[in-house]
Amino acid sequence: MNYTFEFAQVFAAWDELAYGALRTLWLSAASMAIGLVVAVLGALAKNNGPRALRIAIDAYIELIRNTPFLVQIFIVFFGLPAIGIRLEADQAALLAMVINVGAYGIEIIRAGIESIHHGQIEAGRALGLKPLQIFRLVVLKPAIQAIYPSLTSQFILLMLNSSVCSAIAAAELTAAANDIQARNFRSFEVYFVVTGIYFAMSLLFWGIFAVIERAFLRQPAVR
Amino acid sequence: MRSFGPNEVFYILAAVRWTLLLSIVAFAGGSLGGVVVALMRAGSIRALRWIAFAYIKIFQGTPLLMQLVLAFFIPGIFGLDVDPWAAAAIGLSLHASAFLGEIWRGAIEVVPRGQWEASGALGLRYWAQMRLVIAPQAIRIAIPPSVGFLVQLIKATSLASIIGFVELTRAAQVINNATFQPFTIFGLVGLTYFIICWPLSAYSRRMERRLAEASARA
Amino acid sequence: MTSFTPTRRGFGALALGATAASLLPRLALAATPDDIKKRGRIQVGTLTDYPPFGGTDDKQNPAGYDVDVANLLAKAMGVELQLVPVTGPNRIPFLLTNKVDMLIATFGITEERSKQVLFSNPYSALTTYILAPKGTQIRNAEDLKGVRVGVARASTQDTAVSAIAPREARIMRFDDDATTTQSIISGQTQAIGASNTVLAQLTASYPNLQIEPKFTLRAQANGMAFRKQDEALRDWSNAFIKSITDNGELAAIHQRWFKAAMDPLPPMPQF
Repeated sequence: MNYTFEFAQVFAAWDELAYGALRTLWLSAASMAIGLVVAVLGALAKNNGPRALRIAIDAYIELIRNTPFLVQIFIVFFGLPAIGIRLEADQAALLAMVINVGAYGIEIIRAGIESIHHGQIEAGRALGLKPLQIFRLVVLKPAIQAIYPSLTSQFILLMLNSSVCSAIAAAELTAAANDIQARNFRSFEVYFVVTGIYFAMSLLFWGIFAVIERAFLRQPAVR
Repeated sequence: MRSFGPNEVFYILAAVRWTLLLSIVAFAGGSLGGVVVALMRAGSIRALRWIAFAYIKIFQGTPLLMQLVLAFFIPGIFGLDVDPWAAAAIGLSLHASAFLGEIWRGAIEVVPRGQWEASGALGLRYWAQMRLVIAPQAIRIAIPPSVGFLVQLIKATSLASIIGFVELTRAAQVINNATFQPFTIFGLVGLTYFIICWPLSAYSRRMERRLAEASARA
Repeated sequence: MTSFTPTRRGFGALALGATAASLLPRLALAATPDDIKKRGRIQVGTLTDYPPFGGTDDKQNPAGYDVDVANLLAKAMGVELQLVPVTGPNRIPFLLTNKVDMLIATFGITEERSKQVLFSNPYSALTTYILAPKGTQIRNAEDLKGVRVGVARASTQDTAVSAIAPREARIMRFDDDATTTQSIISGQTQAIGASNTVLAQLTASYPNLQIEPKFTLRAQANGMAFRKQDEALRDWSNAFIKSITDNGELAAIHQRWFKAAMDPLPPMPQF
């Protein structure tokens, strides 16, 4: 082997890595939350809105799902100033991530809504449940249960995708890694450590999602 | 100073073949690996199940960008000469193995338990059960999400540009640095990906709907 | 790009062939001129996204000042030239992980970098500036206070700006010069650190922006780069640079790409 590992130089920059990791966590959490709102509104509009709106939403979904995120983020960052909207790199990154996850989210939420059978609502009514109870127990909870796995894996993908935001000079973990390796040239060591940090953050999100599922989404024990 | 002319458009479009070739190789490699991962994961040997589980989690829990960078640099450290093309093909295949493996495991497990029992009662062994009874049903279920993942994979090949493989996105960057026309160029690139990916997405969606209708009727 | 040029074999054969061939182990020991001559082939890393030093021609083959120098070098050594496209940020990793024998990649000779690699004597030079539109009031580093300054990550202008800019300057690092240039065109940055070649392109393509040099960051001497242990190859290359400087071949290359006579090469920086 013709290579000497020097991990010490990477850990010397631990504060930059920690800051980058925090930025990535914040960016991901914020875009998940806002993206979820966009997805729910989009799904409702697509199911119930006027025809023109439905077509517009379809176009949005198809455009985002069939082009790379890198191209999308370039257009948000470099393209919007042409029409007078200049966003800071971090805001542009957030907006691009929300736009991206929103498009996938709409489809996932719609699948959830479609998974509810009308018969169940009627059954709830027959059991004497109030409308709000029906919505909560018969519509909302089963729908969320049905889509929870795909929604959360989409969220994890979103967090991992945020690494592309370094291309527009947004402050996040990959940008920190790039800056560190630009100074000390230990690219392999830097990327190896950063891959580990991303994995730890994935584990963190998986853990949080599992806790949420256990707390709110477990089936009632009545069988 | 060059201007953005037909030569440049041709160069960018010609790079599409590398995007397609890389996608095909990665999908083929990922299919081979995916079958192994899915069988290990859905199988009855505990240790293999755990290995496959860890493999999937690692590849689903780290950015593809980093996977490609490491696939590129690790062999070099051990004195193996791996060019960006091979590194991208290997990195994307390993990545695809994890995702396809998980999709196909899901498809295998959706096949009702009773089918295993019934075919077992007919005296079929594991491989015969898998080949004659389970796989034909699982494949039908697996086609839409697999095509959906292929779309993701095609778009993901754009990240190979970062390790210097000249595919569509990298070709666009090279031309952009010579002509300074980013909007025309990245617009063209976005459109090209769309033209490749959209029919596949539409096909995947249609298959999915058909499958859902079929199972609703059943 | 040369390394990806397809042959006339079928797609599948090409794919498998390329993958299998590139997996064969190659001993990555020190690359001496004798080793390279024995091998009959030298792998040189060049930029393809930095014209006119390292760009592409009409047929999209690598072309430029560096490529011409690499061709002369391979000819002088009597071996086949294999150009490997590298990018600004990945050129040191390419060299250190044995993917190329050497770099001829408009690589500025700096103290930081010479801790990692071995440099030849300068074979080309360029000047980097802070560039900004005419109306922007920037005369020195102090004036960068509160200004969004774009640079290509890991470039010499990145190092220079990082060293001189006041804390309040907002340095934005992009992946390459094209993206950095795009940032000032779109108004995402108010100034950028870049070389005279970038300035020439900006002036030609976007005259309305009235971009001008505000102050000089550094006069950069570019060297060929080698792994630390490859002193023999470095010495051989220094002799080669001296010979093409003396016989006028280097001046001819400069004339071809910059349409101007070559200034005397800067001296080897001392640290």
